[in-house]
Amino acid sequence: MTRSIILAAVLLFAILLSLMIGQVMLSPATLWAGLSTGQGPAALTIRVLRGPGIATAVGAGAVLGLSGTIFQILLRNPLAAPDVMGFTSGAGLAVIFGVMAGLALPTPVLAALGGSAAAIVVAVLSLRRDGSQTTITLILVGLGVGFFTAAAGSFILTRLPPQEAAEAQRWLSGSLAARNWGHVAQVFGVGAVLTLVLVIQSRSLALLELGDDLAKGLGLRADRAKWGLSATGVLLAATGVAVAGPVPFVALMAGPLGARVTRARHPAARLAAAAVTGATITVLADLAARASIPGLQLPVGVMTGIFGAPYLLWLLAREIETGDL
Amino acid sequence: MRAATGLALVFGVAVFLTLAVGVRTASLAEIWNALVAFDPANATHVTIQSIRLPRLVAGLIAGASLGVAGTVMQALTRNPLADPGLLGVNSGASFAIVLGALIFGRSDAGLMSALAFPGAALASIAVFALGGGLRGETGHVRLALAGTALNALLLSLVSAIVMARSETLEVFRFWVAGSLSQASQRPLSAMALVTIVGIGLSLALAPRIEALSLGSALARGLGTRPARIQLGALAAVTLMTGAAVSVAGPIAFLGLMVPPLARRICGHALRLELIASAMLGASILLLADTAGRLVLAPAEVRVGIMTALIGTPVFIWIARRLKPGAAS
Amino acid sequence: MDNALKTKSLTLGYRERIVINDLSLELPEGKVTAILGPNGCGKSTLLRALARLMTPLSGTITLGSDDIFAIDTRALARRLAILPQAPRAPEGITISDLVRRGRSPWRGLLAPWSAADAEACARALNDVGLADMADRPLDELSGGQRQRAWIALILAQDTSYLLLDEPTTWLDLTHQLEVLSLLRDRNQHHGATVITVLHDLNLAARFSDHLVLLGSDGLVAVGPPEQVLTADNLHKAFGLSALVMADPVTGAPMVVPR
Repeated sequence: MTRSIILAAVLLFAILLSLMIGQVMLSPATLWAGLSTGQGPAALTIRVLRGPGIATAVGAGAVLGLSGTIFQILLRNPLAAPDVMGFTSGAGLAVIFGVMAGLALPTPVLAALGGSAAAIVVAVLSLRRDGSQTTITLILVGLGVGFFTAAAGSFILTRLPPQEAAEAQRWLSGSLAARNWGHVAQVFGVGAVLTLVLVIQSRSLALLELGDDLAKGLGLRADRAKWGLSATGVLLAATGVAVAGPVPFVALMAGPLGARVTRARHPAARLAAAAVTGATITVLADLAARASIPGLQLPVGVMTGIFGAPYLLWLLAREIETGDL
Repeated sequence: MRAATGLALVFGVAVFLTLAVGVRTASLAEIWNALVAFDPANATHVTIQSIRLPRLVAGLIAGASLGVAGTVMQALTRNPLADPGLLGVNSGASFAIVLGALIFGRSDAGLMSALAFPGAALASIAVFALGGGLRGETGHVRLALAGTALNALLLSLVSAIVMARSETLEVFRFWVAGSLSQASQRPLSAMALVTIVGIGLSLALAPRIEALSLGSALARGLGTRPARIQLGALAAVTLMTGAAVSVAGPIAFLGLMVPPLARRICGHALRLELIASAMLGASILLLADTAGRLVLAPAEVRVGIMTALIGTPVFIWIARRLKPGAAS
Repeated sequence: MDNALKTKSLTLGYRERIVINDLSLELPEGKVTAILGPNGCGKSTLLRALARLMTPLSGTITLGSDDIFAIDTRALARRLAILPQAPRAPEGITISDLVRRGRSPWRGLLAPWSAADAEACARALNDVGLADMADRPLDELSGGQRQRAWIALILAQDTSYLLLDEPTTWLDLTHQLEVLSLLRDRNQHHGATVITVLHDLNLAARFSDHLVLLGSDGLVAVGPPEQVLTADNLHKAFGLSALVMADPVTGAPMVVPR
């Protein structure tokens, strides 16, 4: 219990830190004045400049963390995350494509369509002749889909005029630039609905953890439950991508790190920890992206890439050691 | 033998199309004349000599290199998903180039090539090692994930540098085109030499690599020395992939697609496979390049994108056929 | 009330292979039954079909008067429990957390944890003798203890039928005896019908009331151990030449290969 409180406190601290640091540095006193009274020099910074971006980071990080954990539990493998398996890049590609083709669909819808399409492609292409699927095949096919979306993305970038291409490039690495409260409402609103659905589904997850056969024996309609959970997972990832672009590695890292910190076991607890951890990672990465090079705002995805990739390599080394791969 | 003749035919067609296709389509006769009896006043001749010929040479170098490198890698790791492009070669080169531009502040072709080479080499060695290669445990997912992770890391760093210093962006965009279109500005003769050395080394090592495929313990029992052979093979691979990246920028998936096809043409003799891979790699690359020039003419779809679009289904197809539990 | 598990003309198979052909069988209620046979004869397949984990190619399976496929999933889970082979537990899970999940069929979607649930789990843990270790993680236990924890899970499910697929295969002899005695007790004191797939013929004879012997060509024999484990049947099913005598400790038939 205490560990969970510590985790939440870290998130809070990260948010406050992020509000204070930037091109304009705010002292804690000024920040407090701005938050409590809505007046003063900090108010503008909070309301317009940093507030929405940070809030979006919290929301996007949380839904990405949830999404990653769902798949990691379902597929019983810490490497099985929507960013490794191409779902988030599929969502990102759909958005870029929509922009290029001038489709009139709202971003979350495009992201959901792209993410779902990628997930379906991966699922279908991983089916063996006897109808089974192994996690390894899923991961490999997912990587393949990732390569494809990268190539398709590159191609689309070459078709866009230079200004738009530069912007699209930024967005494709995951960016929290120029967020407004609309984005915040979107990610928290849709995220809340999906989280509610997930809460209802979490018991199924606890049963599926025991293996399909036992889950069925305990009264679960396993196939239906798996589809439902996968759908929720994909939609959660798409929600994050819709407001922040396909930020890499958050979905991969949040679950395992959160479980390690809070020692959570039950899927419901792991999911909660993942949401908070994902939010924290994203907020800190955003802070680093904004503040590390003076005068320059890097996209948040660059930071998650720089920290997430070594994590993936470390995870890989560990899986090789334990022979789990 | 029929397969080999077919391959020679395909190769010939690929070469021909590269020289013939474009805004000014040329016939076989015109090509012959352009090469043998060059007339500077003839626009088609000029196009062929100054644009398409370099393109052809670059395509031959990059295609042959990547094909042979892929076959060596797959023979060495016994992993059908080992592809130099997926193993960080491209992102390594990009990173080295951008870092070089940052540190040296220059951007001439010579420096860029000089940097692309070690960048590509180091990255591919890193991926190989990170994927368990030093312990001989390169499982399919391991290598692919190690490549993905290193790519992500290096490209994030590249993005960071490129956005921080816009002068490096220009260099980056120029080099990371994954295209044969800038061929005339690349160090073709030097890289051709490097490629020849690399292929020569691979051919020389081929029988020993084949012995290794029996498993290193067994091979050692037969008198071969696994570590040395691995190093030699890696050296050959890095030479070839470095050359390929220097002349053509990032091109992935050739090393993936070529080996299974080469094996089908030549059976399991590695030396023959390597020769077939060289021709096959060059053919596929040149054909992909030509297709890229035709598909959206007059615009060009860069060959790196073409190979990715074609190569991904191949990757997935191979991944599906892997037997469960076969880690390496 | 007739709650017997029966199959009628049951045919089971996978893509290219028929594993069980036209099998009609009744599994006696309130008894301990063991399904025996050589590898590949379809023992596990049959058990899984009985637990509704497989769809038959043809034929029916009934529980009492109900077609097993017509019963609602959760309702079936309240009547029949299955413990599959070599179950994999999520990392770090404690025994009590594991056993709690066995109450799932009795708990509605939003139903809170009730006194009845807590009682059922406590009873199950007591029955398997792990009550004092309830908060220990599963991976810290020995093989026998772990298997007992899994059994506690299906005991907490409070069903009249317990189906177990090779519950003793990876255990040493002491633990095998432990687990089988546990199941036998459950049958004798709670009237649960126990159906297991076992490899060990002698243990099966010792702990079961009823045997189903399958061979590569189908059913070889059904009935009490003395009737089923004959030299003749063993030869038919396993191609084994063996002597069958009375176990000096229990008097049950004992197979001694020649």
